[in-house]
Amino acid sequence: MKSAVTTVVTSADSAGRFPSASDFEAVKGSFDRAPARMAAAEKLASAIDKVTADAVDAVYSKGSYDQANKDKCARDINHYLRLINYCLVTGGTGPLDDWGIAGMREVIRAQVLPTAAYIEAFAHIRDRVCVPRDMDQQAATEFKALLDYLINALS
Amino acid sequence: MLDAFSRAVVTADAKGSPIGSSDLVALRKYVSDANKRIDATLAITQNVSCIAADAIAGMVCENTGLTQPGGNCYPTRRMAACLRDGEIILRYVSYALLAGDPSVLDDRCLNGLKETYLALGVPLTHAVRAVEIMKIAAVAIMTETNSGRKMFDGINSGSGAECKEIASEAASYFDRVISALS
Repeated sequence: MKSAVTTVVTSADSAGRFPSASDFEAVKGSFDRAPARMAAAEKLASAIDKVTADAVDAVYSKGSYDQANKDKCARDINHYLRLINYCLVTGGTGPLDDWGIAGMREVIRAQVLPTAAYIEAFAHIRDRVCVPRDMDQQAATEFKALLDYLINALS
Repeated sequence: MLDAFSRAVVTADAKGSPIGSSDLVALRKYVSDANKRIDATLAITQNVSCIAADAIAGMVCENTGLTQPGGNCYPTRRMAACLRDGEIILRYVSYALLAGDPSVLDDRCLNGLKETYLALGVPLTHAVRAVEIMKIAAVAIMTETNSGRKMFDGINSGSGAECKEIASEAASYFDRVISALS
């Protein structure tokens, strides 16, 4: 699975060389950002149900979507947030790419899912992140970048 | 291929739960030990030929018949293959050490290695001995307990004991190679 370290190791391995000075720099850079990412992951993990409920309530209270889908929407939002939690931990988009986005278009098309509701919910979560109430600036930046990445993939 | 982070992710995904505070304890340690880990890997990468070539040479010295006609390291073509393999194994150990997870070593090096050696007629006991010598040398260099000069230049080098825990992790990867070949 893609992360800073595995990317470095994969390229070193395909060239058949030992990790080089620039590889160590890349790994070190990822380690330096890790505490912020893990702080964001921790906050998200502890509040994942609340964040989901809050976003889904906000989206469905407007009445523009079929209320019958609300539970399913909540389940999916929770699932994607869990993948974002994993991405925050690995420091790459690997988990979202492999488990969330690959095949997503096909599933959405086959089941006629209201992606607009999902996008609205993720945008709501992104806009509601408050610094420093929820997490610090760097953690929030990492979290929002992943939400944007997912929104982009859904659109 | 996994590293310490993606290993935690795969474990959490199997349970369907997000990674919370309790799972992050080990990862925070991995991050806080980053400099030591990089140093330990540098100890290997800056001494590749010393560790690998000397281990093969040492193994041959213990079994001088290997380089005689009929021995497994005769002629030089086979000795060269042996030296190359020592370096390859050491390379995968360095990857595993940097990643903090043995999956790269398992998937890309050890899987099928024993079968390959058996098919090629490589004597496993001697291969194991060479890996043992590499382990001893690598650990000594990392922990700066080798006799003589300081052998690597890293972030915390010069303060040997710093790498002790990581060195035992490195030793576990060499042991993994040994048990895969035994």
